[in-house]
Amino acid sequence: MSTIAAPLPDEVQLPVARSPAQDFWLRFRHDYVALAAACFIVFVVLAAIAGAPLVAWVTGHPPDRQYVNGLTIDGVPLAPFSHEVGPDGIHQNPHGQFFLLGTDKLGRDIFVRLLYGARISLLVAFAATGAALLIGVVLGMLAGYFGGIGDAVISRAIETAMAFPALLFAVGLAAVIGAGLTNVIAVITLFSWYYPARVVRSAVVSLRNAPFVEAAHMTGASHFRVMFRHLLPQLTAPIIVYATGVIAANILFEAGLSYLGLGVPPPTPSWGQMLSDGVSNGLYRVQPWLALIPGLSLAALMLSFQLLGDGLRDAFATKSAA
Amino acid sequence: MIRYATRRLIAAAVQLLIITFVAYVLFFLIADLTGANPAQRVAGKGASPARVRQIAHIMGTDRPWYAQYAHFVSQLVRGNLGYSFQRRQPVSQIVFPAAGVTASLVIGAAVLWLVIAVAVGLVGALRPRSLLDRVLTIGVQTSIAAPVFWVAPMLSYLLAYQPTQGRLLGISLGRRVDWLPIEGYVGPVANPLEWAHHLILPWLALAIGFAALYARFVRAFVLEQLSEEYVKTARAKGASEWRILRKHIGRLVAPSIVTLLGLDVGVALGGALFVEQVFGLPGLGYVGLSSIENLDYPLTVGTITFAALVAVAANAVADLAQAILDPRVRVA
Repeated sequence: MSTIAAPLPDEVQLPVARSPAQDFWLRFRHDYVALAAACFIVFVVLAAIAGAPLVAWVTGHPPDRQYVNGLTIDGVPLAPFSHEVGPDGIHQNPHGQFFLLGTDKLGRDIFVRLLYGARISLLVAFAATGAALLIGVVLGMLAGYFGGIGDAVISRAIETAMAFPALLFAVGLAAVIGAGLTNVIAVITLFSWYYPARVVRSAVVSLRNAPFVEAAHMTGASHFRVMFRHLLPQLTAPIIVYATGVIAANILFEAGLSYLGLGVPPPTPSWGQMLSDGVSNGLYRVQPWLALIPGLSLAALMLSFQLLGDGLRDAFATKSAA
Repeated sequence: MIRYATRRLIAAAVQLLIITFVAYVLFFLIADLTGANPAQRVAGKGASPARVRQIAHIMGTDRPWYAQYAHFVSQLVRGNLGYSFQRRQPVSQIVFPAAGVTASLVIGAAVLWLVIAVAVGLVGALRPRSLLDRVLTIGVQTSIAAPVFWVAPMLSYLLAYQPTQGRLLGISLGRRVDWLPIEGYVGPVANPLEWAHHLILPWLALAIGFAALYARFVRAFVLEQLSEEYVKTARAKGASEWRILRKHIGRLVAPSIVTLLGLDVGVALGGALFVEQVFGLPGLGYVGLSSIENLDYPLTVGTITFAALVAVAANAVADLAQAILDPRVRVA
C-alpha cells in the first residue's frame, strides 16, 4: 500500500510570491499606450543626446550655421524636404544642401536645431523636476511626520505658493535675474516644489500611525531612519507618478519662458524659442512649418509624459492625488 | 459661516501680505543684488553717479529695506502701484484699463470652457467606453498636451488668416473672406458686438486647454457618483436621469468646480499672457511683457503684483462660494 500523499490536483493554484515591482510590471506590460509613450520618451532622450551630434555630423549642418541659400530671395525660409535655393534665389538647387525639416528665419537647419532643442527641454525639465522633488519630498516628509508648528508653517507656505500666479512671477523673476540655463532651472524649481510637497505630506500623515512605523520606533530606529528607510519606500509609487506629471508641466514651463525670450538665450536652440521665432514676426503665416514642427514636438512629448503617468498610476494601482 | 468667512479672509490677508513681500524681495532686493539697480535703470546707462543717487532718492531705493517695503505696501493699499518713468504715467492708470481687457478675456474664456467641459464630461460619463467617449478622451488628452502658445497662433492662422487668403483648413473657399479679426481689441461699452467678435478666437485659444482638464474632472466625478447608493435610491423613486444629474450630482460637483476655478484664475492669467501677445490684446500680459522689454521697471512690478493680488482674491472668493454651496466646508 502506498502511503504517498495524493499529488495536488492541477487546477489548484499555489500562491505565487511577487514583489511590488513584479506586480507592477505584470500590469504595466499590457498597457500598450503607456509603453508606446515610454518608448517615445526614450527615443526623444536618445535623439537629444546622441542623435543631435550624429545628425549634425551626417548632414554637416551645425545648429547655429546660417545658410545664405537656406532662404529664398524674399527671405522666406524653406519648407521641409527642400534643397537650398540656386543662384536665382527661387528655384531649388538639387546639388545644394538638403534640409529635411526646412530652414528657420535665419536659414538654419530646423531638423538639427529641433534635436539640439530637445536637449534644453529635457535637461531643464528633468533638472528642475529633480530639484523640486527633492525640496518637496523633504518638506512634505518633515511636515507630515512631525506635525505641530513646523507642519502649520510648511502647510501655509504650500497654500500660499499655490495661490501665486506661478507663470507671472516666473516671468518677472526671469526678467530680473536674466536669462541663462541655471537661472531657468532655478526659476522653474521655485515654482514647482509645492505640489509634490503637498502630496507627500498628506501621504505621510495617513501613514504616520501605521503599525510598521510603530514597530520601527520600537526597534529603536531614529526619526531620520523611520522617515527615509521606512516611510519613503512606501511613497515611491505616488512620487514617480507625480514626477511624470511635473516633468510634463515643466517642459511646458520651459517652453513658455523660452517663448517669451526668458529661457536659455540664443543662439542655443530650444523648442519654445523656435516656436516664438516662427510666430512673433508672423513668418509662420507664409511658412506654417515654423510653428507646426516645434509645436507638434512639444505636444507629442507632453502627451507622452501624460500617458506614461496615467499608465504608471494604473499599474501602481495608486489613486492620483490631484 | 461667519466664523469660516472670517478665518478665510484673515488667511487671504496674510497671503496678500506674503505676496507683496515676495514681490518686493523679487523685484527690489534680488534686483539690487544682481546689480540691476532700479535707479540706474531709470536713469539710463550713461547717467552720472550723482544723477543716479538723485533718482534713487526720488524713488526711495536709498532707504533701508524695511522702510522701502513699508512704503511699497502703504502705497499699494492706497491703490498706488508706482510711477512709470518711461510712459510718464502712474502705473495704476495703465494697469486698470489693461485689467479690464484681461478680465474680458479670462471671464469669457472661463464661461466657454465650463460649457464645453460639462458637455464633454457628461457625454463621457453617461456613455463610458463608447466610441464617442473614446474619441472625446483622445481629444481631451491632446488638448491638455497642446501648449496655449501654440494653440493661439494656430487658431489665428487657420481661422483668421487663411480665410483672408481664400482658404479654410487648407480647402479653397473660392473667394477671400474676412470673418474673424486677426488681432485687436474693441471695448465692450463702445461696441459689444465687435467686442465679442474680436474675442472669439482668444476665448477659444485660452479655453481649449482648461476645457479639456475640466472635462476630464467632470467625467471622472460624475462616473464615480453614478454608482453611488443615493443615485440608486433616486432612480428607485422614479427620478429621471436628467433630474439625477441636475439635482443630485450637479449639487455635488458644483462646489469642486468653483474651487478649481478659483485656483485656476492665476494659471489663466499666465495663459492670457500668451493669448494677449498673439492676438494683440492690450491686457495685463501685454503690458507686463512690453514693460519687461522696455526695462520699464515700476510697470513690471505693478502689473505682476496687481495680477497676483487678483489671483489671491479670486481664490478666497472661490473658497467662500464653496462654503456657501457646501455646508460641510464651513463646519470642518
